[in-house]
Amino acid sequence: MSKSRSAKDVWKAAVRILAQPLLAILMGLAVGAVVIFIAGENPLYVYGQMFEKSFFNLYYLMQTLTRSVPITVCSLAIIVAWRAGYINLGVEGQMITGAFVGTVVSIYVPGPAPLVMILAVLAGMVAGAAVSLFSTFIYDKFNVSIVISTLMMNYVAAYITSYFITFPLRDRANDVAIQTAEIPASMRLPRLVEGNTFNWGFVITVGLVILFMFVTRKTNFGYESKMTGLNPVFAQYGGVKSRKVMYTTMALSGALAATAGMLEVFGVKFRFIDAMFTSTSYAWTGLMSGLISSLHPVGSFVMSVFLSGLQVGGQAIQRTTSIPLQVATLIQSAITLFVSVKLFGQFRRARKAAKETPKSKVGDT
Amino acid sequence: MDVSFIFSVINSAIRSTTPIMMAALGSAICNRAGVFNVALEGQMLIGSFTAIAVNWFTGSVALSILFGIVAGGLIGWLVGVLQVRYKAADMVVGTSINLFVGALTAIMLSILFGVKGSFKNPLLLSLPKIEVPILSKIPYISSLLRNLTILDYLAYVVAIGMFIYLFKTVWGYHLISIGVKKEAAQSMGLHAQRSQITAVMVSGLLCGFGGVVLSMGQVTLFTENMTAGRGFIGMAACNLGRSNPAIIILSSLFFGFCDAFASVAQNSIPSQLTQSIPYIATIVALIFFSREKVKRVKAAKAQ
Repeated sequence: MSKSRSAKDVWKAAVRILAQPLLAILMGLAVGAVVIFIAGENPLYVYGQMFEKSFFNLYYLMQTLTRSVPITVCSLAIIVAWRAGYINLGVEGQMITGAFVGTVVSIYVPGPAPLVMILAVLAGMVAGAAVSLFSTFIYDKFNVSIVISTLMMNYVAAYITSYFITFPLRDRANDVAIQTAEIPASMRLPRLVEGNTFNWGFVITVGLVILFMFVTRKTNFGYESKMTGLNPVFAQYGGVKSRKVMYTTMALSGALAATAGMLEVFGVKFRFIDAMFTSTSYAWTGLMSGLISSLHPVGSFVMSVFLSGLQVGGQAIQRTTSIPLQVATLIQSAITLFVSVKLFGQFRRARKAAKETPKSKVGDT
Repeated sequence: MDVSFIFSVINSAIRSTTPIMMAALGSAICNRAGVFNVALEGQMLIGSFTAIAVNWFTGSVALSILFGIVAGGLIGWLVGVLQVRYKAADMVVGTSINLFVGALTAIMLSILFGVKGSFKNPLLLSLPKIEVPILSKIPYISSLLRNLTILDYLAYVVAIGMFIYLFKTVWGYHLISIGVKKEAAQSMGLHAQRSQITAVMVSGLLCGFGGVVLSMGQVTLFTENMTAGRGFIGMAACNLGRSNPAIIILSSLFFGFCDAFASVAQNSIPSQLTQSIPYIATIVALIFFSREKVKRVKAAKAQ
């Protein structure tokens, strides 16, 4: 037998990796179809509308790609933490804090636009990282569960920023909307297409995904954080300073979350609006795309675009049918559940059982 | 500040405690059985929604309670099967179940009632308020117990019952032994997998109970994601209570008090800030009490 990887082997490997998520997507869509049917609508018609108004129409496709920006970057924030075994459920709060600080700095700090913008982005990233580092610190020092503290911080961040933009920092020009003033025009990310919100944020996102691939695959940090996730004891034994890896990982996760929020502010909304991240649930969608793709950055990017399309399509069908937007979230979470179970990987698991590896928390799901 | 005001705050604290305590007890039984359950939030939310839906369509309080609890149990069973039988990762199942239930209830709200966000109607029945025969005649005690429902009292019975079950019966010891070392318990002839799934299902029933109190107790309405992190606060309460139902009563009362304090403070501080109090209090409490634990561990190591 030849030892070199033939085209057939590559094809087989691709099928093995993709079969699982693709089947899960089909099952998730089936769950959605059942609910749509119960609601008294024709699932095929609704899905037709959904996909037409998210992928198969240039205007909506650009909407989908625009929306995929914060989702993808959030999924990177999730991946970097989860693959190292640190369950960061606070991406939403880190995103809110980062975007808020970035917006405030860009509006209120005087100076030449490029400098202020760099300062704003750095301040936002530091703020996002500070929120996740706080949870890391109290885990390290006081053994407070990261899961609970990061989740609690979501609510704290949402309420406290809401206070600031309702009272001291509110844009008085508008009596109805609770929001800050607009950031200066010179600091906005340029549009890629006129008359559409599709902007340079998407290009930056693609760049971030590639950079992320490089960092996780080719650097010491990437290797060490992965080792920590697979088996902390073994990693420590092998000389990995797990505390340093933990702090670096969580700081990076918070900074990425903040970046996701700032890309939305600087590229699309140009201001900080109350509940702009909670009502859109970018962070949770990013979490699901990360999980569906088994924490793989490129897979997660593709998945983020798909899930973003579901939401854009969901908004469209909400306008024309009786089906509410949340059907998108329902389908997404159903897909994640099906992936988690590996229903279709039974025989693979049986084969793997012989050479059982140490059970990781999330890495192999 | 007069005394009756303080008593009314304590009364409000008792009423806010019930849902958190049920979630905490649900978390405790899973921990004892060695299953990490993060889906408490979803198990609660389905209970809240089902109670209001059944309430509307049958007009029966008893049926609302029953179906609310059963709905929580069904979700709990699903979580148990996925995590225990199919070995799905706990965090993945938990977070996706929470999001799934959040979306499902929002969709059902739209299908059944044609509304978005929340459903409220004067025709919805709330849980009956109980007048305890003699106590309700005593001046201060009566204001302490004002407007408590039957489920508020039952919650303490459940907590004590679980304490007795876990620490005073042989079945409780079996469950704990499964949690400590599953393989060893299995070799003793215990059905570890079945017990674990049952434990998670029971946590679902308890959370469903908490959900019913949430949507039919102090207020009678359903709002999207009305649990607002209470499942996770329940986990924190369980954590502080070291998965011991007796201590959980106290830790849950603490969080109930924070809730009550937040609603009182609303009169003098903007609500955006007061609403963050329970979440900040959760983190602070975890820091404060876990600190002791770390110290003790370090002291033990030093010896």
